Amino acid sequence: MDSVFTNYQILCFALTAITAPFLAFVFSLIFKKLAGAFGIVSITVSLVFSAILFFSIWQKQTFHFSFSWIKLGNVSVNIGILLNDLSVIMLLLVSFVALLVHIYSVEYIRKEALRYRYFAYLSLFCFAMLCVVIADNLFILYAFWELVGFASYLLIGFWFTKKKAVQANKKAFIMNRVGDVGFLIGLMILLSQFHTLDIETIFGAKGIIHSSFIHNGNWVSPFASIPDYWLTIAGFCFLLGACAKSAQFPLHSWLPDAMQGPTAVSSLIHAATMVAAGVFLLLRVSPLFNDVVLTTMASIGLLTAFMAATIALTQNDIKKVLAFSTISQLGFMVLAVGVKDNAAAIFHLSTHAFFKCLLFLAAGMVIHQLHHVKDDTKTKFDEQDMRNMGGLARFMPITTVVFIIAALSLSGLPFTSGYLSKDAILISVFEWASERGGVYWLFPVVISITSWLTTFYIFRVIFKTFFGDFKLPALINKKEKELHLHDPNLWMKIPTIILAVFCFGFFFALNPFSLEGSWLHHAFNLEPHAGGLLHLFVPIYINALSLVLIASAYFIYAKNKIVFTNHKSWYYQFSYHQWYFNVLYDKKLVGLILWKAKITFWFDKHIIDGIVHLSAKAILVLAEIVDWVDTHIVDAFVNGLANIVSSWSVWFKSVQNGKLQHYFIWMLFIFLSFIIYKVII
Amino acid sequence: MGLLSVLIFLPLVFGILILAMPKSLNAWFKYISLAVSLVQLAIASYMYYHFKTGDAFAGVNQLSQYQWLENLNWIRLDVGQFGVLQIDYLLGVDGFSIGLIWLSALVMLVATLSSWEIKTNLKGYFALFLLLNTAIVGVFCALDLFLFYIFYELMLLPLYFLIGMWGGVRREYASIKFFLYTLFGSVFMLLVIAGLYLSVIDPVTGNHTFNMVYAMNPANYIDGSIFNSLSNAEIFGFPARTVGFIVVFIAFAIKVPVFPFHTWLPDAHVEAPTPISLILAGILLKVGGYGIIRIAYGIFPEAAMSLSFWMGLLGVISIIYGAMAALAQRDLKRLVAYSSVSHMGFVLLGIASLTSEGLNGAMMQMISHGFLSVMLFFIVGVIYTRVHDRDIYNFRGLANKMPVFTGFVMIAFFASLGLPGFSAFIAEAFTLIGAFSSQTLNGLLPRWMAMFGTLGILLGAGYLLWTLQRMFFGKFRVKKEEWKLALTDVNAREIMVLVPLAAMALVLGIMPSIAFNVMSSSVNQFLLMFK
Repeated sequence: MDSVFTNYQILCFALTAITAPFLAFVFSLIFKKLAGAFGIVSITVSLVFSAILFFSIWQKQTFHFSFSWIKLGNVSVNIGILLNDLSVIMLLLVSFVALLVHIYSVEYIRKEALRYRYFAYLSLFCFAMLCVVIADNLFILYAFWELVGFASYLLIGFWFTKKKAVQANKKAFIMNRVGDVGFLIGLMILLSQFHTLDIETIFGAKGIIHSSFIHNGNWVSPFASIPDYWLTIAGFCFLLGACAKSAQFPLHSWLPDAMQGPTAVSSLIHAATMVAAGVFLLLRVSPLFNDVVLTTMASIGLLTAFMAATIALTQNDIKKVLAFSTISQLGFMVLAVGVKDNAAAIFHLSTHAFFKCLLFLAAGMVIHQLHHVKDDTKTKFDEQDMRNMGGLARFMPITTVVFIIAALSLSGLPFTSGYLSKDAILISVFEWASERGGVYWLFPVVISITSWLTTFYIFRVIFKTFFGDFKLPALINKKEKELHLHDPNLWMKIPTIILAVFCFGFFFALNPFSLEGSWLHHAFNLEPHAGGLLHLFVPIYINALSLVLIASAYFIYAKNKIVFTNHKSWYYQFSYHQWYFNVLYDKKLVGLILWKAKITFWFDKHIIDGIVHLSAKAILVLAEIVDWVDTHIVDAFVNGLANIVSSWSVWFKSVQNGKLQHYFIWMLFIFLSFIIYKVII
Repeated sequence: MGLLSVLIFLPLVFGILILAMPKSLNAWFKYISLAVSLVQLAIASYMYYHFKTGDAFAGVNQLSQYQWLENLNWIRLDVGQFGVLQIDYLLGVDGFSIGLIWLSALVMLVATLSSWEIKTNLKGYFALFLLLNTAIVGVFCALDLFLFYIFYELMLLPLYFLIGMWGGVRREYASIKFFLYTLFGSVFMLLVIAGLYLSVIDPVTGNHTFNMVYAMNPANYIDGSIFNSLSNAEIFGFPARTVGFIVVFIAFAIKVPVFPFHTWLPDAHVEAPTPISLILAGILLKVGGYGIIRIAYGIFPEAAMSLSFWMGLLGVISIIYGAMAALAQRDLKRLVAYSSVSHMGFVLLGIASLTSEGLNGAMMQMISHGFLSVMLFFIVGVIYTRVHDRDIYNFRGLANKMPVFTGFVMIAFFASLGLPGFSAFIAEAFTLIGAFSSQTLNGLLPRWMAMFGTLGILLGAGYLLWTLQRMFFGKFRVKKEEWKLALTDVNAREIMVLVPLAAMALVLGIMPSIAFNVMSSSVNQFLLMFK
């Protein structure tokens, strides 16, 4: 505890850092004119305090503060702040990237009437994301995890009159909900097993997870003992949660659709920060995972990385390519966690945040400028379609340069940050496979191929967009000069230039070829890599082929020397249609659920309510029967009796007719009857 | 005259006053009603604020621990060899009822404000409305089974007329279905109440008693009486206490409503005028949950425990079934009605878990659903009063035309689907956590029930967001041209209704302790009965 600041001051700093964006959210909705200013000022405040926290916490101490939030007899839920190395690096990263995106957005969103909403939502997102990062408790982490998703929902649907946008935000939220369900079940398992959800108490260096063990098919913790498969289930539940947030197979298909939102949003939320939250969660709970879960995780990461890279090869929408690239890179990180190299995952998460954010912002500049052209010339074309672009380097040199720097970093070429972090993952995968042997060699092979595919698809974008012939003028029948294409103004340029600087390896390691020299990687990497030979070999063979691929991409897309004619082939179509996941999910799965819903409603209306109606009807029928019995039997008996009496009375009346002869005859008749009766008996 | 009596009978007095007033004062009725609700809310808030918490004020099965206790000898009839017929006017409040009383006061206020749309026969409407108010508050305060039953049945009468006379197209059908369905359950409950009366002795006077707090203590049962747990009496070959529990449970399950006793609800909701829908969803359903806790579980604890699995199963089925049915609706009001079935399923699941988290979560869910369902039905009412149509497919892009309204809709929808920061999230998370830990703690519910329950959260997001997308986003388009003028944004009165509801959902979501504090000691005391 040799920190410059007292614990109380650290707490105040952390609270200020998270409260500032929240206040900006509230004030942006009230003072609409000043929304942009609020956003920028608040995130600057967050950045400053994040930096202070970073320098007082990083590699020095762990700060933990919590207070009781809910108390129910013996159950108590605490909430608070946990600042350790992972928190502060994320804190710094998020606030830094967010600040740049805020500045960029001022220009990007200038012409929107509802831009105050945009900044309000963006501030809400920053608040929630910073809270996710510093939450000390899984329950509260879950709460902000969902809130981040909500902010993302709002921002994807910012243009709420666009049908595709509102379909996309619904899809994003619901698919994330699938993951949330997993996360929630995971929480329940941990809570019933450890009686707390405090991250430090469970997963810390002296956490209770280390004193729990598997014994006789039971998972025993100091508090409870449950069958051991619950340990695996818990791991899978958190993995499911992470898969949804980080767009991993099979819950990845929301991310490409989320590109319907403003590009600056895609850059911050759907590339740099929020989608990394899934990986962040995996890192937070990593001691929980057993071997089964880890191997599954590695496989999912590998499959996702490969799948997304193959899809990115054929997409024509520039943002779609970047979206799939994001999915692919997140796959790399998940793979890294799966092979137990958390340091590499964090490292790649950090470097990826910069270069992927930059790729999106640069793409956004292209889209933004082409959109102006569209407005100026009053023509119609898709400003995101790369088939309308080409040769833009002449008009937008700075955009081109920063895009290329980011692309180099994504490809992992030397001197870039990507070189360090991606190779860290590759080396770990090689080591992991060599320990296990056999079928596990598939992992390094596939991930190497994916790495090459990455280089190819991103340079395909570069050559299609910035080099070769400019195709737009011919398409809309205008001359190049009429279009007035140029780099955007400083609001947009400066953030991208800053990001471009951070794409170089020098910021992460003084010697840009040495992974061990990287402060960021070193801090998390407790046991250094053993294989010295791999360090030399892996970067060389990856990069050598990468250069060849860049050259071939140049000839194919910039010079049109080689023309592919396989657009009809099944593998091209398979890639172009994104492995048909959308067909499967949107049509088949959703259709199935809606069909089931209709069946349920039919059942409700006709069977359940039918029984109610039937019983009502049965009672009515019973009433009819009772009525019939009443009239025809009960009442008939009464009436019959009355009839008998009355008919008798008529007859008896006729006896008393006042004629003496009749009376005499009657008396005689009765007397004779009496005599006969006596005689017979 | 205690505070509770004032709270209960204030509306009745003013209801009679309205009946006595001439028709020319028509315009005053709603203001009288509003004033009554405001006073009630003030009293309820005062009580909530001064409600004492802690183990010494837990209530449940300790009569002396109830607060604002009122005990008057109401009926004492010497019936010869059967002793003295004892019916008490017994009122009291504990942690289970105080939150619901406050909720009722708020919902009645909101419903009164929403009654501005009622245009015909105002005198009858407000008189019945105030009578209903009396009955509802009475149900939550009564501690004597006989008194409880009177208030319980008294709710039906005004509701029958309020739905049947001021309702929609199929109002007669809906009102009679509602009336008969509920009556069907409660008539059998009356038999159980009679059985309890014959079994339970007031330890102070020695008479038979309807006191429900005494009925929770096994020591007060006469040896060999039908509901004495030691006498092993049977009804139709089944243990008498199990039959008693099931009968009482079904009576309240109809109110909740629990699958398969729920079909009265969509009809009643759809046909009822907006203010009555608010009351139905906001309070009436909670009477069911409250009755299950207080009477079914409180008086027959061991029977309840042995049937816990089935209770939990019904809860899970209600959650998923209600959500699936909601997904299939075109009528917005029907969708909201089915979502109520789904959300109230969490209440039953939480109760069945018999854990501290589960029960607190269930109580929280009742209060939270009180605010949110009222908000949802009010939202439906806003659209319906403007264009007299509720078909989801007849509207699109309402956000363009009604931005403030859409803001409230989004708050209500996201709060209902359990967005953190709102009360429903806390409530649903706690019921599920309770249900999940039940297996380890008391072995009552298997873990898969909680896991299936989470599907309700997923489906909830499905039907609400889909509706949001279909009705509110996209380009503005409605079925008829004249609707375009009619669809104006919310006015000041409507905002006045929506703001407190949204605020309460938010406050309870961020500071759930406000609600948990008053109920947790009662919940713990309650759970002791199941040890």
